[in-house]
Amino acid sequence: MTQQTVGQQLIIAAIPVLPALVFVVLALFGRYIREGAQYIATFGVATSLVFSGFALATVASSGVPIEFAVNWIDLGEGGSFPMGVYIDGLAAVMLVVVCFVSLMIQLYSGAFMQDDRRFAWYYAVLNLFTASMLGLVLAPNFIELYVFWELVGLCSYLLIGHWFEKPSAAKAAQKAFIVTRIGDAALFIGIIMFWRQTGTTSFQGISEAAQAGFIGDSLFTAAVILVFVGAIGKSAQFPLHVWLPDAMEGPTPVSALIHAATMVAAGVYLVARTYEIFVQSPIAMLVVAYIGGFTALMAATMALTKSDIKRVIAYSTISQLGYMMLALGIGAYTEGFFHLFNHAFFKALLFLGAGSIIYSMGSYNVLNMGGLRHRMPITFWTMVIAGLSLAGIFPLAGFWSKDAIVAAAFVEHFYVLFGMALLTVFLTAFYIFRAIFLAFMGEPRTEEAREAAESPGLMTGPMVILAFLSVVSGWIGIPEGFGLPIRDYFAKFIAPSEFAAETLALEPPSFSFIMAALSVLVAVAGIVLAYAFYVPKPEWASSLAYRFSSVWTFFDKGWYFDALYDALFVRPAMAVGRVVREFDLRALGGLVSGVGRGFSGAGERLRPLQSGGAQNYALFILFSVLILGVIVGAQYAFLVVALILGIALAAVAVGARL
Amino acid sequence: MPPQAQQFLDTLNTTLPLEGYLVVGAIMFAIGAWGALIRRNAVVVFMCIELMLNAVNLTLVAFADYLPGAGGVGVGYAVLVIAVAAAEVAVGLAVVLAVYRTRKTVNVDEVNLMKG
Repeated sequence: MTQQTVGQQLIIAAIPVLPALVFVVLALFGRYIREGAQYIATFGVATSLVFSGFALATVASSGVPIEFAVNWIDLGEGGSFPMGVYIDGLAAVMLVVVCFVSLMIQLYSGAFMQDDRRFAWYYAVLNLFTASMLGLVLAPNFIELYVFWELVGLCSYLLIGHWFEKPSAAKAAQKAFIVTRIGDAALFIGIIMFWRQTGTTSFQGISEAAQAGFIGDSLFTAAVILVFVGAIGKSAQFPLHVWLPDAMEGPTPVSALIHAATMVAAGVYLVARTYEIFVQSPIAMLVVAYIGGFTALMAATMALTKSDIKRVIAYSTISQLGYMMLALGIGAYTEGFFHLFNHAFFKALLFLGAGSIIYSMGSYNVLNMGGLRHRMPITFWTMVIAGLSLAGIFPLAGFWSKDAIVAAAFVEHFYVLFGMALLTVFLTAFYIFRAIFLAFMGEPRTEEAREAAESPGLMTGPMVILAFLSVVSGWIGIPEGFGLPIRDYFAKFIAPSEFAAETLALEPPSFSFIMAALSVLVAVAGIVLAYAFYVPKPEWASSLAYRFSSVWTFFDKGWYFDALYDALFVRPAMAVGRVVREFDLRALGGLVSGVGRGFSGAGERLRPLQSGGAQNYALFILFSVLILGVIVGAQYAFLVVALILGIALAAVAVGARL
Repeated sequence: MPPQAQQFLDTLNTTLPLEGYLVVGAIMFAIGAWGALIRRNAVVVFMCIELMLNAVNLTLVAFADYLPGAGGVGVGYAVLVIAVAAAEVAVGLAVVLAVYRTRKTVNVDEVNLMKG
């Protein structure tokens, strides 16, 4: 391990701190800064991007991770929790991707959100979101990661609910928060299990302790799967995927950020980060692979029927994240993360393109669009590039990573997963081009579509940059078996550790032209089918949908997961809530206000005693003194007699008064 | 003290026991308390209070004479009570006058500012 200078450490630390500072400034002074917010925010993230580039260059040139830490919480005998930084190739690449995508989105948002009432607040949270994700990427241990993990969740809640005046947006934000919270709770339990067993929370420490056999087998598997459940929640994998489509209620650039770089990438990143721990549990790896494969296929079918363009892309994200999980689960570590890397660019672009359409027409519904290719040529061509990249068409970025995953599934003998992946390739190509053809080809179907105009340069600029990257980002990872005289930089840089590779006993990755041709052909078939259905004869699609209406509805309702969860969890929870509320209101509230009412009633009864007549008071005093006298003087019989006489006298007096 | 007076006191002491004084004092006190509690005229109430004070004085003086061990301290208390009673009457009558000026009455039943 090489030691960095303090200056280098400061630069590394500044990567997440700068956007966090921007958040503080904008949150405090946003109301005075207003439109100026975008310049401050963009400057902050741009600086972070430069610093991330510095980190990447340092790691790439030295070949060893950057590592330093300070003691954060010291429990004395109970151990300590350090807070620090660990940047290997994986983290360095992730830092650059996060900063870059965030920068593009912040530029774009300047135009997209220009009339928003909470413009500065939007930028503030956007920056906190970026800062949280950067912190998460840098974390060398579970506790630090968990802190940023929760911050990411909070920011997604704030941004999805940015337009909280709309009830659906407020609901979607809550749904996202609660559903991911289920995963977060599991993750936290997993972390505590690791900590109890090993006394450390650092990824490396846990991995080493597990290798040394400090953790019981079943306990270890349980803890690993719990950590994975956390990743399921964040990365919207089955069965916790339901929040992501609803998250489309947020502003479109936010969707781009959530889907490309921050929120959902966190789950995949967590698995990649803790890969050395995961590989030690074959069962957990199988769980990861099959959850991923199933999610990829399931989400792809859900995307087939959606008419909301953002939802199509949202389901596509779930599906692509499934791919990444699948890849990680079968041991294709490099391929899985490579897909995350490429996906960040074309997915951000797809969302920005959708945002561009929404900006110009005010509608999400592809059925209201049509013919936009003439009105919005830049949006059209960049969307087509992103679509081709997503579908995995040679030689765009998506091809290199997706093909690698499909091929790896075959090579590692996971034939079921291979079949699922290949089918998903077909569905992916079909649904994304269905949306693109419906939006851009044919004739305009509404007045808005006829009058749509290209978005301003501040929006198309980032789209063009991202389109460029959607083509070329995959080229840094072209496998050497392909025959070009270039090296596979990505695989060199982000290789699974020796330990992981040995444990998994991986087949050496090899490039197969047959496999590549197969996956491209399947994708092309999907595109052609989409063209046939939606461009020359749109009525074919509707008649087919009519004939298989039950299947269509099943897909369209998202396999009825929402209805299922509603019946299983939401309603019972609401019922319990109502019972508790009634108990609180009637039993507890009744008790408390009953005590209050009792005293105030007693006071009301006693009030007439305060007649205001001084003689009455004197009478009370006399009575009291007499009674006291009886008590005190009980032993003096003659006094008692005198007192009884006195009382009789007083009684006569009272009788005379009343 | 002239010898005749001393002789008179001795005679009283031998013929009148302490209880006699105490009973008179108690009766005076009871009459005073009764009047203070039931009479409606504020001036009469004051007179009754004076009666009670004097009942106490009588008791104090009687004890002072019958209990020589006390060193006659009861007489001093009696003087103190008389002084206080004088001051109390001065203030009390002033209050009664003030009430009479504002309310045109000295009936204590109609003066109920302390009503809750």
